[in-house]
Amino acid sequence: MTITKGPGTEQAIRTWSGRSIPRKEDARLVKGQGSFVDDGGVQGQGFAWFVRSPHAHARIVSIDCAPALEMEGVYAVLTGEEARQQCETPFFAIAPPPGSLMAEWPLAVGKVRYQGDAVAVVLAESRETARDAAERVFVEYEPLPAVVDTVAAADPTTPLLYDDAGTNVVWRGVFDYGDVDWALENADHVVKIDRLHFHRFTSAPLECNGAVVDYDLGTGVVNVMSNYQMPMFASMVIGPTIGVPINKFNFVTKDIGGAFGIKIGFFAQIAALALLSKKAGRAVKWTEYRTEHMLTAGHGNERTFLDIEVPVMSDGTILGVKVRAFDDAGAYLHYEPLGAVIWSQVVPGCYKLKHVRVDYTEVVTNKCPTVPNRGYSRMQHLWMIERIIDIVAKELRLDPVDVRKTNYVQPEDYPYRTPNDCVYDSGDLPRSLDIALELAHAEEWRARQRELGTGSGRRIGIGIGSTLDSGTNNFGQSRIINPDLPFSGNGEAAIVKLDLFGEVNVNIGTTPQGQGHETTAAQVTADILGIAPDMVTVSTGFNQANNSYVGFSGTYASQFAVSGLGAVMGAAEKLRHQIVKLAAYALRAAEEEIDVSDGFARVRGDENRAIPFIGLANMVYANNAGLPAELLSEVDLNARYVYVPPFEVPDPVTKTGNLTLTYASQVHVCVVEVDEETGEVTLLEYAAVDDCGRRINPMIVEGQVHGATGLGIAAALYESLDYDASGQLQQPSFYEYHAATALDIPHVDCGSIESASPFTPNGAKGMGEGGGAPLHAVCSAIQDAVGGDGPVVADSHNHWARVHELLHRDPTASRGVAVTSREGPPRVAQS
Amino acid sequence: MLLEEVEYVRPTNLEDALAVLADVDGAAPLAGGQSLVNVLKNRVASVDLLVDISRLAELRTIKRTPGGGLDVGACVTYDELDRSPLVRESHFTLGEVAAHIEDQQIRNKGTIGGNCCLSDPTNNLPPILVALDAVMNLRSTSARRSVQAAEFFKGYFATALESGELLVSVTVPPMPARSGAGYASLLVAADAKAMARAAAWIQLGTGGLTITSARVALARVANVPVRDAGVEARLVGAEASDAAVRDACSVAAEGLRPIDDVHGSSHYRLEMARVMAHRAVMQAVDQATAGRNGSESARRGGRA
Ligand SMILES: Cc1cc2nc3c(=O)[nH]c(=O)nc-3n(C[C@H](O)[C@H](O)[C@H](O)COP(=O)(O)OP(=O)(O)OC[C@H]3O[C@@H](n4cnc5c(N)ncnc54)[C@H](O)[C@@H]3O)c2cc1C
Repeated sequence: MTITKGPGTEQAIRTWSGRSIPRKEDARLVKGQGSFVDDGGVQGQGFAWFVRSPHAHARIVSIDCAPALEMEGVYAVLTGEEARQQCETPFFAIAPPPGSLMAEWPLAVGKVRYQGDAVAVVLAESRETARDAAERVFVEYEPLPAVVDTVAAADPTTPLLYDDAGTNVVWRGVFDYGDVDWALENADHVVKIDRLHFHRFTSAPLECNGAVVDYDLGTGVVNVMSNYQMPMFASMVIGPTIGVPINKFNFVTKDIGGAFGIKIGFFAQIAALALLSKKAGRAVKWTEYRTEHMLTAGHGNERTFLDIEVPVMSDGTILGVKVRAFDDAGAYLHYEPLGAVIWSQVVPGCYKLKHVRVDYTEVVTNKCPTVPNRGYSRMQHLWMIERIIDIVAKELRLDPVDVRKTNYVQPEDYPYRTPNDCVYDSGDLPRSLDIALELAHAEEWRARQRELGTGSGRRIGIGIGSTLDSGTNNFGQSRIINPDLPFSGNGEAAIVKLDLFGEVNVNIGTTPQGQGHETTAAQVTADILGIAPDMVTVSTGFNQANNSYVGFSGTYASQFAVSGLGAVMGAAEKLRHQIVKLAAYALRAAEEEIDVSDGFARVRGDENRAIPFIGLANMVYANNAGLPAELLSEVDLNARYVYVPPFEVPDPVTKTGNLTLTYASQVHVCVVEVDEETGEVTLLEYAAVDDCGRRINPMIVEGQVHGATGLGIAAALYESLDYDASGQLQQPSFYEYHAATALDIPHVDCGSIESASPFTPNGAKGMGEGGGAPLHAVCSAIQDAVGGDGPVVADSHNHWARVHELLHRDPTASRGVAVTSREGPPRVAQS
Repeated sequence: MLLEEVEYVRPTNLEDALAVLADVDGAAPLAGGQSLVNVLKNRVASVDLLVDISRLAELRTIKRTPGGGLDVGACVTYDELDRSPLVRESHFTLGEVAAHIEDQQIRNKGTIGGNCCLSDPTNNLPPILVALDAVMNLRSTSARRSVQAAEFFKGYFATALESGELLVSVTVPPMPARSGAGYASLLVAADAKAMARAAAWIQLGTGGLTITSARVALARVANVPVRDAGVEARLVGAEASDAAVRDACSVAAEGLRPIDDVHGSSHYRLEMARVMAHRAVMQAVDQATAGRNGSESARRGGRA
């Protein structure tokens, strides 16, 4: 990795995009000068503490707040029922019935549905008092049987979480593309896998959730300073419930210590805090604690795949897949059932699968609500596809590299239309795989693996994970879930402004959490305005008062490089245009003659005719007498631009359409050593090749790759969230949940290729989520180590005991897979 | 999680500390605080007065005993054990174990005394101290007594300490020639909690081929480290070979029923106890063969 020196030393360079300039935000962050939500506060604020249920499922018999209210320093207690009385309607439901009947209010009403469900919230003069008081809110519960098994939850005989809905099934849909029955009938082999399970985990952001909410009773404005990552979504969901119009919300974010999608989940807390603030007549500050976070902030989707059937031709061509998928939304629908369609952005994975049928069921259970977690919903599906590829290779004695190369979408196929009409924009998967194999020295390890043979007690496994990071959503896909939803397309807003003394300032609607938006936004702005990134100030975070937002604003779903920077570039172009216009007037030249560079507008070829930015700004802001009205009507040096990606509305009936604009790809290869006696897995080598189109700042891209790799490895080997039969979370703190540290993560060799996207303003693609490649690669490597006759690696989480079981399973027990082959000579695949 | 209000004193000498502990109901010693403060924050225990002993000079020394053993003050931190030339020279494995307890921040604060007095079955030091046959030296205002490590750990969060009593130091006997120690853990992840763990000490005969004496302590198969008499009996007189040691360790933890949890079943843990016992003993053999400090491979194999 090369880091370019600061701009001061390289004034001559005109193009800042594409270079690994150091991140503008790092100086303050490494010096402890960042400003996070818990650093903030408001005069007179109280501190909030939620009273949470110890039960997974119980009826609330009574709540006695009096002992808490008697304590000195306690301002107010808000209960679920009281909050509901203040609300006009439950939170906005994405699902149609029956999902829409699974009503959620700011606090639990009538019953609690998971361990940690909030039944009341206390406000007091200090955190300590609030917590002490919360222990004196006495809640009587009548426990109900807990529903924890995802597949069983759908069974009509299972107890219900929501009596009104009459079922635990939130949403069910069959996604049927091509003709999978034909494919199964005509394939040379059908590989059947009983069950694959993608486990629950979290990205465990370093900073937990938090908010300072101030309901201004005078103006009706609700100020929300928080680390919530998708502010307009929260306003849309909670506004109608608590009776606050969008223009009376003032959402602000500052530095955010990681979010990963998890921080889309806490809108319910924000709503409760707003009502509490209203009741108490003072601002409330809430800082979530780790155990509270682990129990309630949101987990990633857990998905079970059953009865997987894969039609395969003798040459290794995989025709498609048929599967039943059960997704577990947990107790409340915090973004779900959007996940039930979002996976279909990547129906065939990286492959040319033509015939796919997924019978998808999403259920509620008595577990923490799931929320979008880095790689959201696609990762689960892509993991299944990668498992299928390896299992097919293993069962048919084919080389997993060959099977991938045979079935990959080929470089010449782009733009590639998937069976459900998504368009893969660009890429070169075979080359990415070659680079990754080389970086990981796969061939040498293959030889070592053979040498090692049996008897050493150690086994080597080589694994591949090829994955997609689909970015820039078409929100029209929500209509495949619910045709009545008024959403489609996407967008982001930015304002680029020349300020009074000629300063360049950028405001965006995004909520960066480590992705370096200040740096890349400065790079693209600098290129357009002919200045250095140092001369561009990018405001930190989101501020509703800046007016640089649209309904989809925020930072999520791998889209900043496209939508965020698209908006910034559009606004910078607009501003440049104004600068040219104004300079042409000031310098008495034609617009075509004006160059903009180094903070000046100049007449080309005439050194003496130039005006600095400060001079231009002065003309508009403070010295405008006599300027032509026409000029002033066009030039205000305050350019707002909304980038809107080119999308059509998908078809909810056929469940087809272009659901995302870009497809970054990642191919990871890892080498593991497995200890036969214990099942311990050690990563010996790890390579990650990323193709996210044109990289604005390669160093930042690499940082994202490292982060996503660490996260995926951790999930594959160390991090899992499990509930016991009574619905108690087994890993509610870092004692039990081993969040991976630097010691657990090997050196990652990064490679990259740049297949520019033809669909985006800058050739870039979103890439921050990473598509879960390490989960695929690690499982693949463990499978390789387990060997040809062993059982299938059927779980995405493989702690040592599980690997031990794979290695030492009773040979007569089911391996979880079967192959049926057709009689007669092999046929050639029909394309 | 937040601390409830609690009083705090920091006596300047051991006598004063013992006096406060004897006088005040609900007083508890505070050493590194790496467990106690968390326990208090989680409100699973409550204390009225924290008596901070962590800076008492009397409890912070590492001394050589006349026979070549160690006398380690109760408030010596893991980091100090790790970095002590005295410890490394004679009891390499003890330093190595300390070097791998959780992370550096915890190693800077956590103490040998706290690690033992907490008696958490996942703690790293108790099994090695049992295997090394250490002696725990206790004091109260009125008395001093010493307890063998194997007798000190009584149960989950329970020790031989009586109210008002402090652990003041730990005496580790010398490592005779041709003796060696070993320590093997199956960790959930790097430097994290152990699912299975064994510590071993063995003495080789003059020929260097036969084990003449052995102590094997298993952790995580019960609430306290367990000296495995069955394994020890099979080791004594056995050849110091991989096969013989493996055979001896195949009976490890017989009759015990380790816990079941998300990291592994009881059955798995039992099997792992055997694997760890074998590895710890082989490390000890290696160290005994190679000399006091152990060979390079024994060092590197000594994952805590
Ligand atoms: C995240 C985390 C993970 C951890 N993981 C591990 C691990 O894997 N392995 C491990 O071994 N440890 C682990 N620990 C615990 C750590 O090692 C603690 O330091 C240790 O358990 C207690 O030592 P302390 O000096 O901090 O004692 P304190 O927390 O101060 O005290 C612990 C207990 O011992 C009593 N006590 C302390 N000193 C004396 C004394 N001299 N005489 C009498 N009573 C005394 C106290 O009153 C208290 O009851 C972990 C800690 C944390 C925070």
